[in-house]
Amino acid sequence: MRTWNSMEEFEEFLDAGGVVEPNDAMPESYRNAVFRFIELHANSEYMGGLTERDWIPKAPGMHRKLTALAKTQDEIGHAHLLYMVAADLAIKTREEMMVDLLEGRTHFHNVFHYRVHSWTDQIAVAYLVDAAALASQQAVFKNCSYGPYKRILRRVIAEEGFHMRNGEEMMLLMAHGTETQHDMMQESINRWWLPAVQLFGPDSRPGDELLKWHIKSERNEVLRDRYVQKFVPQLLGGGFTIPDPGLRKDPVDGRWKISEIDWEPLKKTMRNGGPDSARRIADARTAWQNAHWVREALDSSVEVPA
Amino acid sequence: MTITQSDLETVRSAVASVKDPEYPDLTIEQLGILENVVADASSIRVDLVPTILGCPALSTIEQDVKAAARRLGHEVAVQFCRSPVWTPDRITKDAQHILANEYTIAITPRLGRTQCPVCGGRSLEKRSDVGPTACRSVHWCAECRNPVEVVRSREAPVQ
Repeated sequence: MRTWNSMEEFEEFLDAGGVVEPNDAMPESYRNAVFRFIELHANSEYMGGLTERDWIPKAPGMHRKLTALAKTQDEIGHAHLLYMVAADLAIKTREEMMVDLLEGRTHFHNVFHYRVHSWTDQIAVAYLVDAAALASQQAVFKNCSYGPYKRILRRVIAEEGFHMRNGEEMMLLMAHGTETQHDMMQESINRWWLPAVQLFGPDSRPGDELLKWHIKSERNEVLRDRYVQKFVPQLLGGGFTIPDPGLRKDPVDGRWKISEIDWEPLKKTMRNGGPDSARRIADARTAWQNAHWVREALDSSVEVPA
Repeated sequence: MTITQSDLETVRSAVASVKDPEYPDLTIEQLGILENVVADASSIRVDLVPTILGCPALSTIEQDVKAAARRLGHEVAVQFCRSPVWTPDRITKDAQHILANEYTIAITPRLGRTQCPVCGGRSLEKRSDVGPTACRSVHWCAECRNPVEVVRSREAPVQ
């Protein structure tokens, strides 16, 4: 167990690239910040897994169903690992985190507060939203100061990379498909572009603790800009338009610039007041209640030692 | 087109270097997925052993294998074999080290207890039979307090 005599000493340790482990005597404010960040990530994986699950019966064909099934398992599995690490920080038990989520007292990423209307919406989620989530996770992983979280992210990133590839493949299929398919894909891009761009959040505040303590390693606006530079040309190349009348290419630096974002609706969404928040949370609650007997059976089963 | 021994060898080495879609640092050969590359006079066939039946990455691996051969001007057939059965000890030692050090993923040894890849502790507690992927189970290391995934094996249960 390592101890630090002051916050300054602890911050010096973090600035020098130090990695905090669970047995270390970390400052309480750091413990709280790490916990809140991991809890939000865990909740988002869990809610994302439930959305993916909805598409297992509806996905077209055996192969796509298998993929939807595997992605559901990935997301729920990631949530499982993250809740283990979060619970170990001894701020809330896993049960308390679940109850808080299902009662709408805690939060999850904006992208899971909207309705997925169609199969092409699901493709847009896999292609645009998963890519945004992956970009932000990669940025966290790069220099994350909390050891157990960094280790989980390594695997999460590898698996999400596979999802993204899958999303890209399905998007290209629609891009080169019939006119109806292309139009459907365009409609879904229109619905999901802004939520995906907003996933990175408003510009990082100066003195943001998450940055200061190396829980995150890049500013929100930097990640958002990098995402725009990558996806604008990809979408245009697929013959799609981007639902942003203010989108332009800067003649000086050649970079794509998007319109100013009005963050007010996002704030409301993040407080569980988004267009589909109530239904999503109710749905998660039902899933939790329906699976009660499974948890009970597993908890009461006794492992026979080999 | 006649397949020569040297064609077969170049195709084999290209196919062997195909990366696994979920572990981009590791090849299908290192993971023991590549079983054989065989040829008759006019065609080449690649035999692959899936880590787990119903693995959702199989079609991606198949596409990648075909693409690797096509880059050399060869069309190959891909066959997924049900026998032999894939076991974690088909993973090469080098790859086992990468899995442990980079991904915190452990392999159950033929003898003895599974070791925590983070701290080397030997008191992993199983938390669930399957994790994010169907081929790994989830454990908790009570010593270093990290979640650890272990590659599942029917033949060698984690202990």
